[in-house]
Amino acid sequence: MILKIEKIGLSLEVEDELLNKLLEIGKTHYPKEFGGFLIGYYSEDNKHLHITDKILPKKYQASKYNFVRSTKGIENELAEFYAENLRKIYIGEWHTHPDNSPKPSVTDISAINTIINSKKTSIANPVLLIIGYSKTTADFGFYVWFENKLYKYE
Amino acid sequence: MDKNKHLDSVISTHQITKEEILFDKYVKKKNEVKEALEEQYGSNIYTPFNSGSYAKNTAINTKFDFDLVTPFKRNAFGSNGTLKEMYEDVYDFLYEKYKDVAVVKKQKVSIGLEFYADSDGDVIKIDVVPGRELSQDQYKEDENLNLYVYYKYGNIDAGSERIKTNVKAQINNIKDRATTEKDSIRKIIRLLKVWKNSKYNYPTKSFFLELITIKSFDSKCITGSIWDKLETVLEYIRDNVTKEDFTLKDPGNSSNDLADTLTSTEKQQLSDDMKNMLDRIEDNDENLKTYFPENSKFKKEDTNNNQYGKNSGMPIPPPKLIFG
Ligand SMILES: [Zn+2]
Repeated sequence: MILKIEKIGLSLEVEDELLNKLLEIGKTHYPKEFGGFLIGYYSEDNKHLHITDKILPKKYQASKYNFVRSTKGIENELAEFYAENLRKIYIGEWHTHPDNSPKPSVTDISAINTIINSKKTSIANPVLLIIGYSKTTADFGFYVWFENKLYKYE
Repeated sequence: MDKNKHLDSVISTHQITKEEILFDKYVKKKNEVKEALEEQYGSNIYTPFNSGSYAKNTAINTKFDFDLVTPFKRNAFGSNGTLKEMYEDVYDFLYEKYKDVAVVKKQKVSIGLEFYADSDGDVIKIDVVPGRELSQDQYKEDENLNLYVYYKYGNIDAGSERIKTNVKAQINNIKDRATTEKDSIRKIIRLLKVWKNSKYNYPTKSFFLELITIKSFDSKCITGSIWDKLETVLEYIRDNVTKEDFTLKDPGNSSNDLADTLTSTEKQQLSDDMKNMLDRIEDNDENLKTYFPENSKFKKEDTNNNQYGKNSGMPIPPPKLIFG
C-alpha cells in the first residue's frame, strides 16, 4: 500500500505481502508484543520511502505491554542488505500491540528519540510501524519522526 | 470545504517568515532612516525604535507596519518649542533628505516615507512618529510621549494638538498574554488584517482591530477551532462596535479611546461588514475565500520542499530499544 502525510508531503510504500507476513509473525507471539527492524530505501528525490524487507531480532524480551529488542546477532543480515544495494538500509522499527490500537505509547516515542539521538544510526526520520491487532482485526499505524514531531501516514 | 484548513492556509501563506527578503529590505531601510535621524538630532533624541506590528508580531506579509518612533527630549526645540514645531522640523528634514527617492507625506501622527519601487518592484513604507517627552528626563522613567496630531483624527477634535501615549505599553499588551491564548489572538488579528488589506483605504486602523480582538477575548469565552474563534470575534465586533458606550482603551494611555478614531458612520459600516461577512459565509462556506484569500504568491512554494534526511554510510540501529 501507499501512504502519505499530506502536511509534510512525504510518502511511503510497503508491499501488502510484507505487512501480512509481519502480522502473521506478530500473532504467533500472542498475547505478547513482538517486533523488529525495517529495511528500505529512499527515492532519488528523498520524498518517498519504500519499505522492502524486515529483520527479526535474535535476542528480545516481551510481555503483553512491553517489547525490548537487541541488535545482537543481526549485524550480518543488515550488512548483507547494504552490500546487495547501497541504498537498502535500516529505516525504522516495527512492533505489535496485541488487543490494542496502533497508537504510539510514551515508551515508543522515547524509543524514536533514542534512534535519532544515536550517532551511529544517522537517520533523521525513523519510521515506526505499530500493528494493533486482535483475533479478528488488524490495524497498521505508520509514523515518521520529522522536525521534532511524530507524523502519521494516512 | 474545510473552513479550518483554509484559514490555516491563509495564516501560513501570509506569515511573516515567508517574506523574509522583503522584510530584510524593510529592516535595512528602517535602520537607514533611524541613523539619519540620530545624526540629525544628536543628543536631542533618545534611541528611535520600531513599534509597528512587526514588533507586535501580528503583521501580515502583504503590508508591513513599520512605525519608527522618534522620542525627542523635552527641550529639543527650545523650552518653548511646540509639538507642531517638532513635527514640522522632522517633516522638513525627511523631505529634504528623501524627496528624490520617496514620497514624503504628512500623516495623522507620523510622517510617511514611501520609497519608490526598487528593481524587484517592492515598495518600502516607513512611518516616522515624532514624539516628545512630557518633561525633562521623564521618558527614561515611564516612556510616555506626547505626539502631534496632524489633522482631524476621527472624532478627536483637530484643535487638541497632542495625544499622550506609551507605545511600549501597547507592544507589551500583546506580548503579555498567556502563550496559547496569545497564539489564537495573533491568528485572529492576522486574519482580520488580511481582510482589512483586501479593501482599499479601509478606515479602521490595524491597532483598532488588534484591540477589539483582545477585548472580545476578554469579554467572551472564545474556544474551539480557528473558524469558531474567528466567528465569535466577528460576531463580537458586529454586536458591540456601534453601542453607545463602546470603548476601546489604548493600553498605552487609558484616556486615549480608539473607539473615537472612527465616526459613527464608520462604526456602522464596520458592524454591517461583519454582519454581511457572517451571513455570506453562512450561505456558503466557499465565500470564506473571498473575505480571507490565501496569499497566492506563497501558496505553491508552500507545497513543501520537505525530504527524508540523507544518511551517511550504513545506519546501525541502536543496540537496545524498549517499546511499550
Ligand atoms: Zn508500542
